[in-house]
Amino acid sequence: MVGSMLRVLTLIIGLVVTSTASALNVFVCQPEWDSLLQELAGDKVESTVATTAFQDPHRLQARPSLIAAVRQADLIVCTGADMEIGWLPLLLRRAGNAKVQDGNPGNFVAANYVRRVEIPVTIDRAQGDVHPQGNPHIHLNPRNIERVADALAERLINIDPSNSAEYQSRLDDFQRRWSDATEDWEERAIPLEGMRLAAHHRSFSYLAEWLDLDIVATLEPKPGIPASAAQLATILEQLTPNPPAGVIRTPYENEKPSHWLSARIDIAEIVLPFTIGGTPGSVDLFSLYDETIRMLEEHNR
Amino acid sequence: MNEFELSIIGPAFLASLLVLSTHVPLGTEVLRRGIIFIDLAIAQVAGLGVIAADTMGWEAEGWLVQIAAVSAALIAAYILHWTDKRWPEIQEALIGVCFILAAVTAILMLAENPHGGEHMKELLVGQILWVNFDQLLPVAIVSALVLVAWYWMRDHLQGFGFYALFAFAITASVQLVGIYLVFACLIIPAIATRHILRRGIRIVCGYGVGIVGCLAGLMISVRGDFPAGAVIVWSLAVSALMFAWLVWPMIRHKDHSAETNIG
Repeated sequence: MVGSMLRVLTLIIGLVVTSTASALNVFVCQPEWDSLLQELAGDKVESTVATTAFQDPHRLQARPSLIAAVRQADLIVCTGADMEIGWLPLLLRRAGNAKVQDGNPGNFVAANYVRRVEIPVTIDRAQGDVHPQGNPHIHLNPRNIERVADALAERLINIDPSNSAEYQSRLDDFQRRWSDATEDWEERAIPLEGMRLAAHHRSFSYLAEWLDLDIVATLEPKPGIPASAAQLATILEQLTPNPPAGVIRTPYENEKPSHWLSARIDIAEIVLPFTIGGTPGSVDLFSLYDETIRMLEEHNR
Repeated sequence: MNEFELSIIGPAFLASLLVLSTHVPLGTEVLRRGIIFIDLAIAQVAGLGVIAADTMGWEAEGWLVQIAAVSAALIAAYILHWTDKRWPEIQEALIGVCFILAAVTAILMLAENPHGGEHMKELLVGQILWVNFDQLLPVAIVSALVLVAWYWMRDHLQGFGFYALFAFAITASVQLVGIYLVFACLIIPAIATRHILRRGIRIVCGYGVGIVGCLAGLMISVRGDFPAGAVIVWSLAVSALMFAWLVWPMIRHKDHSAETNIG
């Protein structure tokens, strides 16, 4: 109860502070974009993040504070590519804030600025889980972050021109540090090339593509639907003679499929941070990539 | 209560009033017949109808999906009406079996078609905070029709009529507020008022319990920033307890004396 009182209090204080200060109110769907926003805008923005690393970004429970945050937002920053299709359209409609509706400058969709993988050539309903927009988990390739950073800075300048100099210099600074870091990671990750891994879903496709990891099996190809006995048998048969280095999953995914596989073919279960806050050490985009690569290095044989 | 809180509570409270309007009277009947899980079964079958529609490649949005959901619910209602006549002593057990069969059929169908899964999830886990005014109009019409039918022929509702009304009411309400809240609105006011002899007083008291519970739950949700549906289920339960323990003892003699006078 005390906790909820405090939350109400911070909400009220938040309302007072934001209405007096000139900071932009930003509603962010996933923690990775909040981290990028902090890099590009610092204290020029007040952000509310809708999900944490331990929540499936596809699903969200409606809470009053989410509606309040979208209603007051000058800008929303989300992944797009159908990632938030289950809740964001409802939330936008309910909040009734014209600035951040689809197609307006206050509506920033990160996935529009990158080349997406796994876009189906033909939309076949029998394929079921195929997203017509391609795989939305775009943030684990540093090239994508680089492109989204450019676009997001441009958008910030567009809606808040009075601070354009600051946004531009922060962008230049970030891109310099980011490209240095990317070079380091790519060098470090050379031994990871071809590392064989099993995965729960296609949450790490962009990471795999960037580092040339070999995702040899996907345990639950259709999210939420348990794999059939035949699918599991095929996976076991295929993996047993030559087991992968481990099975990777996100912090929000159920551990059962990993347990099942690691118990049968004796491989490591690796919970990668996936986004900011997924492990205690992943506090921003830089440490997120550091941690991810370090954990893969640990399990690489 | 400020303007923002009102704008959040407004549509959600209206939605809960609409749901209560039909579910309180239907709930007393459901409790009397001892078939309390019928709402879960009917809602699950309605979800199955949506998956089937999606599998057949019908448009995912709009009224076609609603027709599929209501048709499936009506078929289930008809089957349950038939089993009620044929094997009344095991009706509740059969309703349970109907529920799990519908649930696992959904899993089997979804193995081929997860898109249907998204629609079914939308159908079963409506979220009361995301209700908009424009969603309320169709539900208001359905509720009004159900209520008229209910009061017009409640004494002749032995047959298929009761199950059919139920199918319409549940299919509409589940999409608005989700399966947990539907169950709570149906059963909790009916339990709280089960000792009241006169039907009119019982329904009025049931509405009171429901309205107090929903309003309190919404306020707590807004003030404490909790998911609204879950809080309302709890506040409905507390409202029912308060009624049964505090309010009812104070007014019970009126109900009984009225009954004696009539008798």
